[in-house]
Amino acid sequence: MSAQKKRNFKIEAFKHRVELDPKYAERTWKVLEHAIHEIYNHNASGLSFEELYRNAYNMVLHKYGEKLYSGLVTTMSGHLKEIAKSIEDSQGGLFLEELDRKWGDHNKALQMIRDILMYMDRTFVPINHKTPVHELGLNLWRDNIIRSGKIQTRLLDTLLDLIHRERTGEVINRSLMRNITKMLMDLGSSVYQEDFEKPFLEVSASFYSGESQQLIECCDCGEYLRKAERRLTEETERVSHYLDVKSEVKITSVVEGEMIANHMQRLVHMENSGLVNMLVEDRYEDLSRMYNLFRRVPDGLSTVRDVMTSHLRETGKQLVGDPERLKDPVDFVQHLLDEKDKYDKIINKAFNNDKSFQNALNSSFEYFINLNNRSPEFISLYVDDKLRKGLKGVSEEDVEVVLDKVMMLFRYLQEKDVFEKYYKQHLAKRLLSGKTASDDAERSMIVKLKTECGYQFTSKLEGMFTDMKTSVDTMQGFYTSQYCETGDGPTLAVQVLTTGSWPTQPSAPCNLPAEILGICERFRTFYLGTHTGRRLTWQTNMGTADIKATFGKGQKHELNVSTYQMCILMLFNSADQLTYREIEQAIEIPAPDLKRCLQSLACVKGKNVLRKEPMSKDIAEDDAFYFNDKFTSKFIKVKIGTVAAQKESEPEKQETRQRVEEDRKPQIEAAIVRIMKSRRVLDHNTIVTEVTSQLQSRFLPNPVVIKKRIESLIEREFLERDKNDRKLYRYLA
Amino acid sequence: MHKSGRGHRDKVQQFMAITGSSEKAAIQALKASDWHLEGAFDVFYSQPHIRTVTDSRHLEELYNRYKDPYVDMILVDGITLLCNDLQVDPQDIVMLVISWHMKAATMCEFSRQEFIGGLQFLGIDTTEKFRDKLSYMRSELKDEQKFREIYNFAFGWAKEKGQKSLALDTAIGMWQLLFAERHWPLVDHWCQFLQVRHNKAISRDTWSQLLEFAKTVDLQLSNYDEEGAWPYLIDEFVEYLTENGIVQSHQN
Repeated sequence: MSAQKKRNFKIEAFKHRVELDPKYAERTWKVLEHAIHEIYNHNASGLSFEELYRNAYNMVLHKYGEKLYSGLVTTMSGHLKEIAKSIEDSQGGLFLEELDRKWGDHNKALQMIRDILMYMDRTFVPINHKTPVHELGLNLWRDNIIRSGKIQTRLLDTLLDLIHRERTGEVINRSLMRNITKMLMDLGSSVYQEDFEKPFLEVSASFYSGESQQLIECCDCGEYLRKAERRLTEETERVSHYLDVKSEVKITSVVEGEMIANHMQRLVHMENSGLVNMLVEDRYEDLSRMYNLFRRVPDGLSTVRDVMTSHLRETGKQLVGDPERLKDPVDFVQHLLDEKDKYDKIINKAFNNDKSFQNALNSSFEYFINLNNRSPEFISLYVDDKLRKGLKGVSEEDVEVVLDKVMMLFRYLQEKDVFEKYYKQHLAKRLLSGKTASDDAERSMIVKLKTECGYQFTSKLEGMFTDMKTSVDTMQGFYTSQYCETGDGPTLAVQVLTTGSWPTQPSAPCNLPAEILGICERFRTFYLGTHTGRRLTWQTNMGTADIKATFGKGQKHELNVSTYQMCILMLFNSADQLTYREIEQAIEIPAPDLKRCLQSLACVKGKNVLRKEPMSKDIAEDDAFYFNDKFTSKFIKVKIGTVAAQKESEPEKQETRQRVEEDRKPQIEAAIVRIMKSRRVLDHNTIVTEVTSQLQSRFLPNPVVIKKRIESLIEREFLERDKNDRKLYRYLA
Repeated sequence: MHKSGRGHRDKVQQFMAITGSSEKAAIQALKASDWHLEGAFDVFYSQPHIRTVTDSRHLEELYNRYKDPYVDMILVDGITLLCNDLQVDPQDIVMLVISWHMKAATMCEFSRQEFIGGLQFLGIDTTEKFRDKLSYMRSELKDEQKFREIYNFAFGWAKEKGQKSLALDTAIGMWQLLFAERHWPLVDHWCQFLQVRHNKAISRDTWSQLLEFAKTVDLQLSNYDEEGAWPYLIDEFVEYLTENGIVQSHQN
């Protein structure tokens, strides 16, 4: 090849307009129309994509886009109408299959057509605001097939019927269902919703309404809930298999509404199987199921919670009012703790540790524990019992657990100051009789009380411990100083108690036997020698003594008795027989105490170191007492003293309550003064509110008492009423 | 300080024309009220009309007539004599009013200061003048404000020296006396209630609040406010009334 001269190669646009004459346009269209027919008739393989594309392109280019588009619409609609007929004609079960198949065909056809008409789709369509081909295809399908009179109802009915059958246990063709619903979704979410979902939900609602009515008549609560749960799982599964994912929430809420919400009250209150039974029988699985189902519906959990609360309050109220239960305080408190444990477990295992249920539990306990005004006393007695002997052999952690549980009950008490009073009394008795099982446990309890209530609460209690320790040192000092003088006399162990820290005891008279007066005096001298300016008073009602006694046949026993009892027994060293009156005269202790001591010495089997005539249980003035020569016991050491803490008798209880009320008055006044000092001028109701909130960690003040205290403060000129507004009080500096 | 500006002079003239007082009195009154005419009238008229100058010799004579022979006070005998001279019963409530004017510390005795000072203030230096003044003093009980003052004064006056509270019997006696002047239908129930339920002395606060109660709360207790910060005794009284059916309860 010879090197030709290079010619500049330019591509130029057509210089002349290429006119497409109308006939040519018609011909081109015919080609395309034919192609569409072939495509629908599954004869697409014989077509040339390129040629068809070009034809379409030319039409659009030469401004025949409109013809092309409207032709497409007509042709496609025509085909679809035929297809509709064939679907309508299909028999029974084949209806859906036919629909599905034709839908598949249509999609494939649509794809091809769209490809062919791509140029029109991209240019003519947007410019002229026409529906794009693909969408057009879907709309035409929707209008000609899905919304065609006969098909529309039949489609819905078929679908719903299949679902119903599946619900009643039949197996259906799930993939076919999926295809159909997917088709509806593809046609637009409003098609899916209007043509299927809405009626589906309505039908489901009436289905479940019927089913729930049936079940509730014949099932017990647990069974019903199991079935409801199963239905819910089923529906969720159904959605995942062949419905739109957005339907899940809607259908489950239908089931929840029909099966749960509409029957909540009936389920919860069902006799022999409802919530209360489940609680009583600790049916964790059923409870858990109820919780999980009910939480799905509005007010579900509050219904459960309310029933639980009223049940708790009711049982609690019965518990604290049952005289049988109240006979043994320790047992009573143990029951409370057990009840608390039970419900903690239920809330943990079945109610998902739900805080609102915890709160309901707490408020219920608070409610009924305070119904019985002896609760503070009983809780203190429980602790007393545990700290005496109940915790022997229990590991340190377990001790903590028990005490923590008791603290939970303590927190519920409204009258914490009453508890404090009793705790002090019981602690005093424990310390003085040496009956604490574990010093560590005692300390631990004090720490817990301090953490809960502050230093004020426990400072006196700690003072008691200090006194005990100091007394040990004092005794050591005493004996070192007396080493030459002890000899054969009685051994003395003294606890010196600081008056403010220990529970106040009225001092009662008592004549101590001569045998011990000596050493007692020596101790007093010793103590006052090192602590001038103090005053000592023997608390004869709180002491104990160990006496060695020899009986008729020479049996020797060591008797552990109270100080009072010791005084009585020592009298029998110089007399074999004494009447009640003689004893009373000699010892001079208060009559009720004397009677009690004599009863414990003469009327209790196994401890009757004295004999009484007559042998009645009650002590009369003329009764005679004899030293019981014939006393026997298998123990060498016999314990007769009764210094253990017991629940108070009625008069004692009244007295304690009165003392508590008296103690509250200055606390209320102090609170009023504190508040008025900082606020200067305040109205009556606000004072009452403020005082109540300041004192509620100790007790609930009575508004009438607060009013009286205010008046007392007015009288003592701490406060005055405002001259213009009688409801206002003013602080006087 | 002769700050009489022109405006002040006019006011003085006006004042004198209206009240008929002297210039000196006019200026005094106007100064006392910061040169406001209205206030000045109040000042002027609140003083006893006849600001008569009392003869101090007469007052001495009068005091000595009633004074106890051993103590520089007028005691029971002197008061009896005084009542005789005035032709008034010693239990008459006007004695209370007199004591109030005298600012007497305790009932049944007057100190020299109290007696003479009081009479001076009232413009009395003879027994006749004293007698003449009695009806005026009785009328003072009809004035709301004065009645309240006299009522509150009565507490301190009737109680024992050195005590904070008023003995119940005395209190009841005083209430009977006072509420005869200013009618309160519930007074008998109140006294009965106290004797039955309370039986202790009465505090000052309760005393003064009772008058408010009598004045503001109606006889059916329909406007009694439980939250009204009434003294607790009054709350208990209301309970007592409803319990005994004297009043219908207003439970809402």
